[in-house]
Amino acid sequence: MSSSQASHSLAFRVMRLCRPTLHVDTPILVDPSDLLVGEDIYDDPVAASHLPRLMGGLKVKPSGDAADLSYRNRFLLNDSTDSMGLSGLLLLPQAFGAIYLGETFCSYVSINNSSNFEVRDIIIKAEIQTERQRILLLDTSKSAVESIRAGGRYDFIVEHDVKELGAHTLVCTALYDDGDGERKYLPQFFKFNVANPLSVRTKVRVVKDTTFLEVCIENHTKSNLYMDQVEFEPAQNCSATKLNADEYHSEKTSTTRETFTPPVLIRSGGGIQNYLYQLKSSSRASDQIKVEGNVLGKLQLTWRTNLGEPGRLQTQQILGAAIVRKEIDLQVVELPTTIILGRSFSVHIELLNLTERELGPFEVSLSPDDLPGERAIMTNGLQKMVLPKVEAFGSRDFHLNLVATKLGVQKITGIRVYECNEGKTYNPLPDMEVFVDLE
Amino acid sequence: MEQDSVDSGAQIDPLSNPFASLDSLSPDLSSLNDLAMRGAWRSILEKVSRSRSLDLLKQPHHHLTYLSFNVLALSKLRRFADANSELESLQDLDGSDYRYETYPKVYPGRSGSMVPFSLRWIHCIIPIKLGRRNEGLDRLYKLLDLVREKLEERKSNSREESLREWKRRELLVINTIIGDHLIHKEFSVCLDLIRNLLSGDCLGLDAFLLSELGYIQLQIGDLDGAKGSFSQVEGIADKEKSIKLMNLVSRNKALIYLVGKDYVSAVREYEECMERDHTDAVAINNKAICLMYLRDLSDSIKVLENSLERVPTVTLNETLVVNLCSMYELAYVNHAEIKKTLSNWIARVAPDDFDSSCTRI
Repeated sequence: MSSSQASHSLAFRVMRLCRPTLHVDTPILVDPSDLLVGEDIYDDPVAASHLPRLMGGLKVKPSGDAADLSYRNRFLLNDSTDSMGLSGLLLLPQAFGAIYLGETFCSYVSINNSSNFEVRDIIIKAEIQTERQRILLLDTSKSAVESIRAGGRYDFIVEHDVKELGAHTLVCTALYDDGDGERKYLPQFFKFNVANPLSVRTKVRVVKDTTFLEVCIENHTKSNLYMDQVEFEPAQNCSATKLNADEYHSEKTSTTRETFTPPVLIRSGGGIQNYLYQLKSSSRASDQIKVEGNVLGKLQLTWRTNLGEPGRLQTQQILGAAIVRKEIDLQVVELPTTIILGRSFSVHIELLNLTERELGPFEVSLSPDDLPGERAIMTNGLQKMVLPKVEAFGSRDFHLNLVATKLGVQKITGIRVYECNEGKTYNPLPDMEVFVDLE
Repeated sequence: MEQDSVDSGAQIDPLSNPFASLDSLSPDLSSLNDLAMRGAWRSILEKVSRSRSLDLLKQPHHHLTYLSFNVLALSKLRRFADANSELESLQDLDGSDYRYETYPKVYPGRSGSMVPFSLRWIHCIIPIKLGRRNEGLDRLYKLLDLVREKLEERKSNSREESLREWKRRELLVINTIIGDHLIHKEFSVCLDLIRNLLSGDCLGLDAFLLSELGYIQLQIGDLDGAKGSFSQVEGIADKEKSIKLMNLVSRNKALIYLVGKDYVSAVREYEECMERDHTDAVAINNKAICLMYLRDLSDSIKVLENSLERVPTVTLNETLVVNLCSMYELAYVNHAEIKKTLSNWIARVAPDDFDSSCTRI
């Protein structure tokens, strides 16, 4: 089997078949009234009564079967929309162009027999080779193509969903009997590179008890991307709601409402679009997301470019921020509405054990003051209150006696719980503001 | 052509009617128009040059008409720098030099601008074609302002014919602006401008404009939006059954099929168009494209070659030729020969303004 370069009867020709484009170009076309007469001539009533007939006569096309031997379409405007230059004419892809992860590679492949002899028994193979693998797209070994006549062709179209980045090669091979009966082998290689179309940046924010996921999508391609679908698929035990800014198209009239909704179009070469999701835990425990390994979920992205050319990608699992699991919590059950300067008051607090093991005993105190000067609100009585053990998922009530030493708006701060058994300290209560009054 | 005192609105003698024929508007105007219809732009340049040197242009507006043809011809021949020089030779278009009332003996009782509107329009296009897009776009927006001023003036005077012409010109300028934004992929501006046109009372729901909206939506990838626009077009076509509208609806349907990769149905729609109107160049071209996607390169070439043979004056356009040459490059290892044959045929048949670089020889 020879595979010398110069003596092949067959040759592969390849053309990428992404979607065609709608040709657009500003045409130089005129209306007779804009060329043959002055712009204000119709203000003259005599002109206004005669010219329309004259001008109209110029625009009439020869009817039906009569051959129009003029190039009037390259000179005169037919409709006002002609000047937009978007006639609906389709144009075949003129260059290979860029190809991105998530798109579909589609190509027309034609095997030409440019010799003067028939070739026979042709086994054709087409495959994509990447760094990691070879994917077979076409193989006629089971039923070889019987013959291709001199000057003839055998055509096929291959498609491949691009799932890897980097260098790809379309390898087309033909094994055939040439005019002399010699069995020949023709390999041809067509290289292309697959780039990343998008980058997805995420940020997890916890505001009070709700977890928010911010997603920023940046478009690295040369086309604007029409985002068909940006969906967050939450992990188990989670539900996600997409939060949208207020729609601005409330002023649209009823005619335009059906015509379009504003598309989410991410600009080419660096345009970005942000999305916001609110995540909720669906388990009955507290709103804090407590998921194994802190996996929040992943994003499914589907987009379209020219004439609906589709692309789709899925992100990796998105992880939440490192959330420290709350083991104990303090909740204020009751706080007096009026607090009098110098007079003792009581705060009713509940201590919750959020773990599945018994915890305690506990010591509750106000943490030592690191600010200079006297603290505004201090413990009245014993500096430390001891609480007995609390069983798993259980709770214990207690009252903390405090006294205020300053007037006005003051903070109750620094309530600290020390777990004696494991030796851990917790500061679970945020500052509380109270108003301290005179008598 | 003498202009004796003419009573505005009175009956005028048909023999001296200045609006009876093209030649009564300006010398040899019918000949110039005829040359333009045939795409003989080089002949137009010669004719203008000869008429000027033989001093055949007697009245102020003759010079402007001839200059307009000259600028148009240079532009069609893609000699934009020369067209620009010609335009720069003019005085201020809004100055008194180009107003009828400046020459009361020639144009008794007539007032207003004698500048042909296409001259203003080309004045905007030329910088764009010369690569000075911002300058051209600015000029277009300024021209739109001018047109709207003229419209306002005439609304109160209720000169119906004049009003109609200026409304048409307003559409012309807006469409040109949309087209330029489209070329630069500034899609949200295009959508806004079209929205304004569709909801305004200057046009209302126009089938062709709605179709353009659909094409833009398809370009963006907004398939649902495009389907919505096209179904509105169908609604209009249902009421007014003309071949033009029926073909428009079919071609729109075909695009939707194509986007859904149902090329067989797309071909069927285009064939129906061709049956109704064998000069529907868009249907012919697009049918050939669809055949490519159906792996039928041979037939796609045949469709285009046949159309060039049968109806060249309609189908000979640069886009179709680019498509045919792409097909040749795929179909033939030695495609230079067949492209040369095509190129020779084009040289014999094509109008002067045909851009033969599209054969990529």
